[in-house]
Amino acid sequence: MTDTRSPILQGTLDLMVLKTLEQLGPLHGYGIARRIEQVGQDALVVNQGTIYLCLVRLVQKKWITAKWGTSDNNRKAKFYSVTKAGKKQLQAETENWERISGVIGRVLQPAERS
Amino acid sequence: MATLFRVVLARIRACFRSGDLDRDFDQELATHLTMAEDDKRRRGMTRAQARREARVELGGVTQLREASRAARGLPWLGTFWLDVKLGIRMLRKSWGLTLVGGLAMTVMIAIAGGAFSFFDTAFRSQLPLDEGDRVVALMTWDAETNRRRSPSLPDLERWREEARSLEDIGGVQTIEQGLAIADGPAEPVAVAQMTASGFQLARVPPLLGRPLVAEDERDDAAPVVVIGHEAWRTRFAFDPSLVGRQVRLDRTLHTVVGVMPEGFAFPVNHRFWTPLRVDPSRYARNAEPAVFGFARLAPDATLAGAQAELATLGVLPPVTVTETDEQLHPRVAPYSLALVSTGEENLPVFAGLVLLIVTLLMVPPCANVAILVYAKTVARQEEFATRYALGASRGRIVAQLFVEMLLLATGAAGVALVVVRLTGEYLQSIITMTNGVPFWFDFGNLSIGTVLFAAGLAALAATLAGVVPARRATARLMQSGLRALGGRTGMQLGTTWTALVVAQVAFCLAILPVAAELAWGTLRPSILGPGFAADEFLTARLALNEVPRTRPSLEIDVPVRPIASRFADLQGELGQRLESEPGISALTVSATMPGSEPWAIVELDGVSALQPPGGGPIDDSDITVLFNRVDDVFFDTFEVPLLAGRGFSADDFALGRTAVIVNRMFAQQIVGDGPPLGRRIRYVRSAAGSSSESDPWYEIVGVVDDLPANTYRRRLYHPMAPGEVNPVSIALRAGPTSANTAARVRELTTALDPALRVDELRPLDEVYLQYQRGNNIGAYMLAAVAVSVLLLSAAGMYALMSFTVARRRREIGIRTALGAQPTRLLAGIFKRALTQVAVGAGAGALAARLLGIYLPIEEMGGWSVPGILPAAATLMVVVAAFAAIGPARRGLRIEPTEALRDG
Repeated sequence: MTDTRSPILQGTLDLMVLKTLEQLGPLHGYGIARRIEQVGQDALVVNQGTIYLCLVRLVQKKWITAKWGTSDNNRKAKFYSVTKAGKKQLQAETENWERISGVIGRVLQPAERS
Repeated sequence: MATLFRVVLARIRACFRSGDLDRDFDQELATHLTMAEDDKRRRGMTRAQARREARVELGGVTQLREASRAARGLPWLGTFWLDVKLGIRMLRKSWGLTLVGGLAMTVMIAIAGGAFSFFDTAFRSQLPLDEGDRVVALMTWDAETNRRRSPSLPDLERWREEARSLEDIGGVQTIEQGLAIADGPAEPVAVAQMTASGFQLARVPPLLGRPLVAEDERDDAAPVVVIGHEAWRTRFAFDPSLVGRQVRLDRTLHTVVGVMPEGFAFPVNHRFWTPLRVDPSRYARNAEPAVFGFARLAPDATLAGAQAELATLGVLPPVTVTETDEQLHPRVAPYSLALVSTGEENLPVFAGLVLLIVTLLMVPPCANVAILVYAKTVARQEEFATRYALGASRGRIVAQLFVEMLLLATGAAGVALVVVRLTGEYLQSIITMTNGVPFWFDFGNLSIGTVLFAAGLAALAATLAGVVPARRATARLMQSGLRALGGRTGMQLGTTWTALVVAQVAFCLAILPVAAELAWGTLRPSILGPGFAADEFLTARLALNEVPRTRPSLEIDVPVRPIASRFADLQGELGQRLESEPGISALTVSATMPGSEPWAIVELDGVSALQPPGGGPIDDSDITVLFNRVDDVFFDTFEVPLLAGRGFSADDFALGRTAVIVNRMFAQQIVGDGPPLGRRIRYVRSAAGSSSESDPWYEIVGVVDDLPANTYRRRLYHPMAPGEVNPVSIALRAGPTSANTAARVRELTTALDPALRVDELRPLDEVYLQYQRGNNIGAYMLAAVAVSVLLLSAAGMYALMSFTVARRRREIGIRTALGAQPTRLLAGIFKRALTQVAVGAGAGALAARLLGIYLPIEEMGGWSVPGILPAAATLMVVVAAFAAIGPARRGLRIEPTEALRDG
């Protein structure tokens, strides 16, 4: 059986993580990974480990912050939340993505017959 | 950009808390796995299934930890640190390469870094004053001769009133005056006659009292003087009540109005300041004193803007001289540059060129070290082959060798900087003792720029000596791959590198004689002495100052009759009084002290200065001589023997006389084998300017021995009548107690006439020692370069021999097993390598011979040493023999069974 799931496009994981944190508020790594998988409806191949590398990068850029807390199941977990700079970045990247995906969509659309 | 900065900062911070972050990350992953496991169990999986599934989805924990370390820290730092440790180990192991390569790099970085430090100090545009970069010099530029002139006082006064982009405009002239405290004897001091604006410009408040103010410049103002900190310490013993007291400068009593703080020496290196009366109406037009103009750029004004404004204001047309105002232009220049420059303001370009050349000088020694590194790299082929087989990339191996060389070069740069610093301190002490240095010169301190320059040179050296040979050696490794393992017999130095070793031997032999002759020529006077009892002589400068004389004047004084005859009388009287003093046995007067004569270019009758004299050893186009004017007892006082002809007679001292005496070197080098007496010479050019056809011919009437001896300098002596030159140099034969005589000489001089001043009173041997110190630095540097070239050459030969033995190891083993005689066997083995070295030595000897013929060694201050070339060749043979000892012993120790097994 062929795997119909697509890998995540390079560079888009940061965008997805930022968007998830903006929508759901402070969340731990597992929660972020689950959320992206749910939204992707099993159409995306998400290597959960890479989410943590992405989180390290975003913390370095100060687009998100991390804080240890307690989860709903009473487990000690690290919670991430988006910063003001992260929100600005998210907005810029979202606009950029929409522009590019629009262009790609137009290019791939079958030519209209006159 | 801000994000990048944040990331770099975060990564640096992460390097220091790596352990904490690792624990954090591990815990986070553990939480993730637990949560995923719980989730999956809730969905009905067994515990084992849930755990396996969770781990699969997360990925390898160890890899993730490694990836997170790489993402959050500086991963190359760990690799770099590993390379550093390995590099230190390898440098210790190859101590021969470390010593030889390190020495060569140290010498070259010290020379280049020293040049940088000198230019950095001398051409620094910022004075150590408040907003020192905005202080400028004002001058008048003569477009026709392309030379600067001092601005005239009327121009300075006009610019002061009209220029808006400049403030605190003023001028200064330095005069020498006799300073007398109470009724004591006068001592000569350099006094800055300066406009009060100089103090405003410097923005340095006085330590005591007040600085000069504008009112002091008025004609009817009382004479005042401001005193520097050093003078306050040495002459007034920090007297707190000095302000208000009076001191005598020449014949005028001046009131001390202020004392400046330590370190203040504006405009150059001054310790006494009196007001400059700038009112142009005091002077006849074009007869105003020459001043050095200065100013500070007004707030918001730029150098270009000030230059443009002054160009608009222009200069006043001269009244009597021939230049028109179109030829003379005002010019604004950075203060420090204007002071060290003598011509067009292109000093930074010149400095840049010199630095480029000294940087390029790094290439030959680095190429030499590269040969050694290449040899070492090829010898380490097995090690690299193993690492390559284990997955190390070529880049990693090259990087490791680069780090190894970077360590060596950094160590060399560190030592070089210490050498530069110590030499700078030494240089500073010499200059301070002789002429004094501008207050912003500080050769004793290393600037950040110098340190960065040395670091850059170290990086360059590491690239040349590390990366280049490593790339060549690893290129071979890429081809042979694992076959290099155990393939010791396949080691070869390669044609290019062998050729480089041979060229190195040739270069070494070519420069050794030249370097030895130059170093010997420079060191000779200090080792062998001046050829007479210089320690028994006191030398001084004697001047009769009627009109204040500006110090930097390079013009020969034009004798003014009344002063000249008075000076002649005073000289005679002083001579009589001094000679009647106990201990003083003789006194002689000359235009300059023997050993510090000015140069000139002369031509000999029948031999143009532009053509070499027939058959003579001189083949240079310029016949450069040092010339002096001496009195009738000069040669007797210094006990210089007359070698041919006669000394000066009384007639020779009359006006229009043409008799000259030359020294032995002049006779030998210029006149050659022919008789020198009766030959005529004429000046072609001197420091003062060019001569014309109407200039007189002088006839050689005598030849004397060299004074001072042990240099190749050609000297020419003219007779000098008393009073003809002002100031003059006097030399007293005072015996070993000359130090006690100095005070007496000063006393007698002041008593004769207050305007008669004696200064720079020092024992002659001390003066020579000081001259010599600066030269010796150059000689030692040259010797260091020669020794490092010789060592590099020896190391190159060693590498060549080593490779020969290693390459023919199997052959040696077989032939030894077959009963070959070890010595004959080795002779055969080394034959090829020794032939290569001999070819290099032959080429080097030829080059040395040609250099000896065509290079004006004596003009460059060298001293030809007979038999230096065979001596250098013998030295090379000895060095080659030493280089062969190690490989030869290794060759003799080869066990046939081992050699055959290895092969």
